[in-house]
Amino acid sequence: MNAAVSMPAGGEVILRAENLERRFGGLTAVSGFSFELREGEILGLIGPNGAGKSTTFNLISGFLRPSGGRLFVKGRDVTGASAKTISRLGLVRTFQHDSLLSEMSVVDNILIGTYHQRLAHEKRMEKVREVASMTGLADHLQTTAGNLPHGLQRMLSIAIALAAEPQILCLDEPLTGLQGAEVSSALELFEKLRTTHGLTILLVEHNMRAVMRACDRVIVLNYGRLLAEGSPETVSRDEAVIEAYLGRGR
Amino acid sequence: MWNRLPGVWICVAIAIASVLFALLATNAYYTSLVVWVLTNAVLASALRFVLQIGELNIATAAFFGIGAYTTAITAVLLGWPFWLTLLLAPLVAGALSALFGWVTLRTKGPYFLLVSFAVTEVVRLIYTQTNAIGGNSGLVGMFPPMAIDAYYPALAVALLAATLFALYGVERSDLGRLFKAIENNDAIPRSVGLNVVLLKVLCVVIAGSAVGLAGGLHAYANNVIAPSDFTFFVAILALAYVKIGGEGHALGPVLGAALLTLVGQWVAGISAWENIFYGAVIVVTLLVFPGGLVGLAARARGLVTRSAR
Repeated sequence: MNAAVSMPAGGEVILRAENLERRFGGLTAVSGFSFELREGEILGLIGPNGAGKSTTFNLISGFLRPSGGRLFVKGRDVTGASAKTISRLGLVRTFQHDSLLSEMSVVDNILIGTYHQRLAHEKRMEKVREVASMTGLADHLQTTAGNLPHGLQRMLSIAIALAAEPQILCLDEPLTGLQGAEVSSALELFEKLRTTHGLTILLVEHNMRAVMRACDRVIVLNYGRLLAEGSPETVSRDEAVIEAYLGRGR
Repeated sequence: MWNRLPGVWICVAIAIASVLFALLATNAYYTSLVVWVLTNAVLASALRFVLQIGELNIATAAFFGIGAYTTAITAVLLGWPFWLTLLLAPLVAGALSALFGWVTLRTKGPYFLLVSFAVTEVVRLIYTQTNAIGGNSGLVGMFPPMAIDAYYPALAVALLAATLFALYGVERSDLGRLFKAIENNDAIPRSVGLNVVLLKVLCVVIAGSAVGLAGGLHAYANNVIAPSDFTFFVAILALAYVKIGGEGHALGPVLGAALLTLVGQWVAGISAWENIFYGAVIVVTLLVFPGGLVGLAARARGLVTRSAR
């Protein structure tokens, strides 16, 4: 889709991490990690298991406080701010696991995303229908979320985040377990969110083919440190990345 | 039936019938029994209300006591007007619930349960150690004004029934949906900019105010209160009402409270066996029909629907 794009989309820096660090006792999960996310771009964050991707996600979304470094969202220093503060600044995340309210209906799940703002019930429902239609859930509004097929569950976790009207959407392995056609429609959705709705997307994903297709730029984490950064082509040819992540045989 | 409007109207009709019964019945024992059933129903419903956010709040018993003591202190020791003493019960219980929730709701599950248990016992010990409010003997002499006295059971039943409907209304509202979301997976509401701790505190405050009012009404209904009325065992019994009635619907705790309170009148004479009886009923209920009475009704309805096809 965007494989030909080698430079970041040319917006302002909307998210900046400076020397981000997080220690768990004696273990340093993320260390001296700096990166920038520009308005309108789709940035891939990849790395082997245990590289610190999830910790980074938790740090930038306010679910964890950094042990060191600084974090800026839309120019505002949000280092150590709560998830609520960061979300209300427009950075909303999804989750790799337990990414929805499995005992509640699809409509109730999406409604939860609308409650950060005061809206009349009809306006809320309008938002729910709009988001459900965008994510292919329009025919499943009354279904209990836990009973949805896996692909639609992944879509629902994105729908909840979209209902919160984010400017920066952080997706934590949204394609896990999806089949070929589902992956394609998910990637089309990401592109539509960027072009039509002006969203900036940070994508953590293990599906390398999808990352290479969807992202303008890719950053690679290894042992909690930045290993490489650049266009998908550059990163995929990087010797250090191949050795650490893609494997020498590829 | 339970989730549809006709069910609500049936409950409204039962509530009106209860008020009329309390108003017209001449036997004081039966009217006080109706008040007691509804008091227990509010206690159980409030306990279930906090279960919506996934927490078992033993301090339900403490806030019931705080409501009762607030009314008793302001009525007996300060001589304040009846309506004011009654109004203060939910307000003081609600305010103290807010403080309790703000401090304790950063803990979860067994930790919160233990803290709420400790708070209940500390509050009870404060009553026993404070001679100004009667110490171990408690307070005596809370009587409604003469003009209201004859109607008091009906007033209490009306207010308690209204409290039950209010709790149900909140449960069915957007706020209730948020409480359920917190119980289901609190990371989701956090991720979309909601203050989960504040919502949890609000849940505890609403439940605390409800049992506070029930406590205030209990003080006037019973005319005498003592610290031993507000031990953690009050919350344990409320949990039994919830489990026996069924946790899956707001009607569950009301049915459970009605059943066990009425049966409790019969077993009250068997002294030590009374608690064994309650324990056995809880164990049998959990083993035989874990969804409680409402779960049983839903299953029966499913069977009827299937056989009709």
